[in-house]
Amino acid sequence: MDILTIAGLGKTFGSQRVLNDLSFSVPEGSIYGFIGKNGSGKTTTMKIILGLLQADSGEISVCGQKVRYGDTRTNRFIGYLPDVPEFYSFMTAKEYLRFCGEITGMPTALIRTNIDELLDLVGLADVKKRIGTFSRGMKQRLGIAQALLNEPRLLICDEPTSALDPIGRREILDILLKVKERTTVLFSTHVLTDVEAICDRVGILDRGKIVLTGSVSELKNTHSRHSCTVTFRTPADTVAFRKDPRMSALNTVLHAKDLSVTLHADEPEQAMALIIRILGETGLVPLRLETAEPKLEDIFLEVVR
Amino acid sequence: MRAYLAFTKKELTEYVRNFKLFLAIALFALLGVMNPLTAKFLPDLLGNFMPEGITILIAEPTNLDSWIQFFKNGTQTGLFIIVILLSGMMAKEYEKGTLINMVTKGLPRRTILFSKFTGALLIWTISFWLCFFITLGYTLYYFPEGTTENLSLSVISLYLFGILLIAVLLLGAVLFKNAYGPLLFTGAFLMVLFLWNLFPEAAEWNPLMLTSRNMDLLQGTLLLEDLRNALLVTGLMSGLALIVALQIFKKAKL
Repeated sequence: MDILTIAGLGKTFGSQRVLNDLSFSVPEGSIYGFIGKNGSGKTTTMKIILGLLQADSGEISVCGQKVRYGDTRTNRFIGYLPDVPEFYSFMTAKEYLRFCGEITGMPTALIRTNIDELLDLVGLADVKKRIGTFSRGMKQRLGIAQALLNEPRLLICDEPTSALDPIGRREILDILLKVKERTTVLFSTHVLTDVEAICDRVGILDRGKIVLTGSVSELKNTHSRHSCTVTFRTPADTVAFRKDPRMSALNTVLHAKDLSVTLHADEPEQAMALIIRILGETGLVPLRLETAEPKLEDIFLEVVR
Repeated sequence: MRAYLAFTKKELTEYVRNFKLFLAIALFALLGVMNPLTAKFLPDLLGNFMPEGITILIAEPTNLDSWIQFFKNGTQTGLFIIVILLSGMMAKEYEKGTLINMVTKGLPRRTILFSKFTGALLIWTISFWLCFFITLGYTLYYFPEGTTENLSLSVISLYLFGILLIAVLLLGAVLFKNAYGPLLFTGAFLMVLFLWNLFPEAAEWNPLMLTSRNMDLLQGTLLLEDLRNALLVTGLMSGLALIVALQIFKKAKL
């Protein structure tokens, strides 16, 4: 079942068209990576899902219910972590979470157990100081805790890792992975290694449209291939290698850049075996030989070009 | 209802922790003490400052002088303090984006606005009545034989005018999203009330009567019937300000 469905969404700011017939859906239980360059419309889309911005056209439904601008009932299914979360600085983390629980009408006993569990999950259980003195990473972690408090069916995170140092980023990714068991996650980012680390489905947003969507492994299989790269010491060796008749007979894409030759191959083992044979017979000695897994980055660069 | 109580509690906690409540209480308590003291000792003070050989005749101060001070300070200083203290009540939330989290948790915007109004009202109520009771106590102590007519009506009408100003301030705060906008908006509103008095036949409907005729009430020259229209307009305007603020806030970008 799809927990979030977006159909034909359009939004214009002044003369700038930010979203253009955007459509995608997020299946329940997945971590959906919403990828796009800065300014491609990720935050705008999320704000429309939350009823914070009004769409010019199109429809959104969350858990089968339509989203309306302003007070939208669908927000009770959603936990939201803004890109730079801001909380009442005069409260402590625990006070803030209790307050969030009270305004959403959760039973007091449930609030108490959830708060303890969540503070533990995000590593803020022993922090007693007021939020005003928190670091960015701590605020981000508190942000996840507050978003999960009312056990939402969909957790929306707007670039949760972008402003953090490597340790903070790792912590957030680990938390999101742990959270996967309880809720569906829609997670926007432009950091592709984060997506590869935790997402199982992605949608790539470019110029207000989803240009590519699918599961991560599916995309890697269909949109990019393994590659084998040979690097030589001298340009002469490189030319000699490329001129070998078996190389030109190979029916694969071939890139030559400076001292390296790269082959895209469906069967990386066979291609590499051939390369080694050629090297052995011609007596050329390579500086480096490598096979590379398909990377999301290549796919991304290919589709948003 | 629970959400409303929780958000109102948050408002009060904020007022306590950023010392606004403390400041309001301290200033209003000071005003409360000053009112009767000024009335009692002003003639002596004036007498001491007069050059040698000049004597001025000042009537012996009465409890009415104390109430004159109360209504002057209450309307001018007191309302001023409250309006300034509360002028940032929405601005900070808009500026930091703290309400986004509340709204995305399904807290109705109506609840936010009513909680804001309640919080502001509580500050005004606590400070105002504290000031009143302190003034009342000292006035009875210094001028035990003084009498007044309609004291409660007179004080309540000033209190109600304060509520109207807070409602207008809240409307301004929703409209302008910064700290100065609501101040100017409330100032402009007062200007309109002053200009209103230029039309004598409409003056009896002017909410400003609630703050300008208090002494007439105390002396029994103005009665409840004379105040009825002004009270009615005050109530209507407060309600209207809240309704308009709510409609704007419902569609406001947070």
